[in-house]
Amino acid sequence: MRPAAPLWVLLPALVLLPLLALLPGISHGGGWELVGEFAAAALQPSLEPLVVGSVLGGLGVTAGIALLGWAASLALGLVLGIASSRVVWHTCCGNAAPASWIRRLLALPRSIHELLWGLLLLQLVGLQPVVAVVAIAIPFGALVARVVSDLLDALPTANLEALRCGGVAGPAALVTALGPPLLPQVISYSGYRLECALRSATMLGVFGLGGLGTELRLTLQSLAFRELWTGLWLLLAVMLLLEALVGWLRRRWAMPARLGLHRRGVGRQGREILVASLVLLPSLGLVAWQLGIEPAGLLRWQGLPPLGPADWGAVLALPWASLAGSTLLLTLLAAALAVGLAPLMLLVAQPCRPLLALVQGLWALGRLWPPPLTALLLLFVLQPGLVTGALALGFHNLGILGRLLLEAAETSGAPQQQALLAAGAGPRLALLYGRFSSLARPYLAYGAYRSDVILRESVVVGLVGATGLGSQLLESLSSFAGDELLALVLVYAALTLLGEDLSDRARLWLLETPHGDGPPQEAGGAWR
Amino acid sequence: MTSRKRFLTLLAGFCLALVPAAQVQQASSKPELRIGAIPDQNPEKLNRLYSLVANELSQQLGVKVTYVPVTDYTAAVSAFRTGSLDLVWFGGLTGVQASLQKPGAQMLAQRDVDAQFYSVFIANTRGGLKPIQNQKGLVALKNKRFTFGSESSTSGRLMPQYFLRQAGVNLDDFAGGAPGFSGSHDATIALVQSGAYNAGAVNEQVWKSSLRSGKANRAKVVQIWRTPSFPDYLWLGQPNLNQRFGKGFSTKLQKAILSWRSSDPEQKQILNLFGAQQFTTVNPAEYKKIEQVGRQIGKIR
Repeated sequence: MRPAAPLWVLLPALVLLPLLALLPGISHGGGWELVGEFAAAALQPSLEPLVVGSVLGGLGVTAGIALLGWAASLALGLVLGIASSRVVWHTCCGNAAPASWIRRLLALPRSIHELLWGLLLLQLVGLQPVVAVVAIAIPFGALVARVVSDLLDALPTANLEALRCGGVAGPAALVTALGPPLLPQVISYSGYRLECALRSATMLGVFGLGGLGTELRLTLQSLAFRELWTGLWLLLAVMLLLEALVGWLRRRWAMPARLGLHRRGVGRQGREILVASLVLLPSLGLVAWQLGIEPAGLLRWQGLPPLGPADWGAVLALPWASLAGSTLLLTLLAAALAVGLAPLMLLVAQPCRPLLALVQGLWALGRLWPPPLTALLLLFVLQPGLVTGALALGFHNLGILGRLLLEAAETSGAPQQQALLAAGAGPRLALLYGRFSSLARPYLAYGAYRSDVILRESVVVGLVGATGLGSQLLESLSSFAGDELLALVLVYAALTLLGEDLSDRARLWLLETPHGDGPPQEAGGAWR
Repeated sequence: MTSRKRFLTLLAGFCLALVPAAQVQQASSKPELRIGAIPDQNPEKLNRLYSLVANELSQQLGVKVTYVPVTDYTAAVSAFRTGSLDLVWFGGLTGVQASLQKPGAQMLAQRDVDAQFYSVFIANTRGGLKPIQNQKGLVALKNKRFTFGSESSTSGRLMPQYFLRQAGVNLDDFAGGAPGFSGSHDATIALVQSGAYNAGAVNEQVWKSSLRSGKANRAKVVQIWRTPSFPDYLWLGQPNLNQRFGKGFSTKLQKAILSWRSSDPEQKQILNLFGAQQFTTVNPAEYKKIEQVGRQIGKIR
């Protein structure tokens, strides 16, 4: 027995009940004054030239790191994605086995958060801008590779087989048959990755790897709220601009022409895409030059610090069960919060335009603020611990999920909603049963994927204390305890791989359509 | 050639022309002194005001000096080990960690206050914690929510933890089974004042300046105990400064730092930034105690 599809999306919101019950217990209210100061400062950000200058400089570095990391991850991802696609291996060599080996190998770099990559690389090659770029490129590249190979393997193969039967060589047939349908999906997905890269670059900054994140954390820790808001407003502007630009390009380039009337559009799109990529290449070079990125610097390995003899007994003595347990609990709480709240807020705000705008504003802030900053803010009024960490992570992911939900809601289910409205249903019911019913499965499938992102991200809220593996990892890092670090990273990777497997199963289960009501939607895959 | 092809050729040529332009800049190889600091107090100001230090050193030494911002204690140590920073303002523990990881590193200078530095334990006034008469009194902190500063801070973590341990308070005795790590002294004061934690440990110098500036409100947060003294902050230089900048450079560098006086308006600004009257030489043997404590607590292996 499954409940009616539209109601599914609201199920995770049930987590609110225990949370609301817990909140009075963990809130101490001591810092409302500080929160008030923080909110008031939003209206009067510091405009001192020194502050604005240093924020702009930081923003430039962050944006540059994001752009370069994104470009590198795309290049890496496309190559590896093609190399791990079953269709490609099957067509070229007649055997698809190597594809799944490469796929399994790629799971490891993907399972480690970019922050960890950054901190590990910092140990190996020292503090240089290229570290942040590579830290983003490695896990993102492995992720893009997986999506590209999934997309490739899901494409219809009729054209490919026809070409092969006609005697066309393998590679040529692949490019001709699979290239054109793959391109719009890759373009649409890569736009989304660029937004992720901007968020990641900000986050890396929070941990000292350069850029605006550094400014944000320092100003927050010194309670210089007006200066903090200078950075936040500018970052918000850049993020919204980027999202608008990506959305616009996606609609222009990747949307299939609806009626096939604008045939000339195809040629124009092709030329535009080509011009854009040709402009992109030298501008990447320019950005790299501006940031002082030196790829050769990656080869100057410094060797690890002189480590004491590994003390595996002490490593084993760490409370592994409780560390892993609280990490998982943190993940579940944050995921349920994010997945459940987004549709709930949309439903509540639906009939009232200003309220809807407010919700969207809140989501934008959620996406914008790196979770460790939210966590530090929450500590002003809440006691440290797992719930506080979960709230911070949940808020961030709510912003991301909410936006995707809204975007998807705009493009599907409109007729059903209109029909329900015309039949006299209230606006909320019409939204729930009209739009959400077709969205429920792909949305939840995406939610399942998001929860394994959250598991990886749980490392970043380690600084609120008692959040499991994340907190322990930061402590071991500062002690330069190589043995503990190694064990922690391995456990993290194992947990993430397990989580990924579970969320994959959940997604498949959600996307299977037992009643044959339409083709399985791409949302789960394309949103990754 | 169709117009479209010509257009594309032109575009490609344009792009290729730009590529080498991006490659040239690394050519100049005049050595550059890169300085950094752990972000322990008003770090956002450090970020901006460190250009003063860079300018002053550059004037006195005649080499290019740049400030590299680092937000994280651990990152600062790694950056020093990997040679990304030439001269760093470290805390006691990070300084010892860095000099153990980079044998031959030179302890160049410290402030007049650093040979005998103090930490204070502070408490929120609503938590019922009273001033403590002697070290044994620290047991009152058991089952309270307690925060340190950064994981690697000497005055915000290492020494306070050491004194707590002597009094029989372990890390898992605090409420929630673990202490918090606020990240900096300012954050510790703010969090204890807000009541997020009942108590915390901070650097005495930061505590006093917060009281003076009004950032700390005596009605909400008070000092409950002052620790015995220990050595803290220092300027640490790379072992290879003389090879890179010429014979006698590290002595010149040390003399430059020691020469700063508040009679010079710019040097006065720098000294104010550091909260010092002036800088003095370092006796490396004093930091042996920090190393011992670091090993006991597990921060040095």
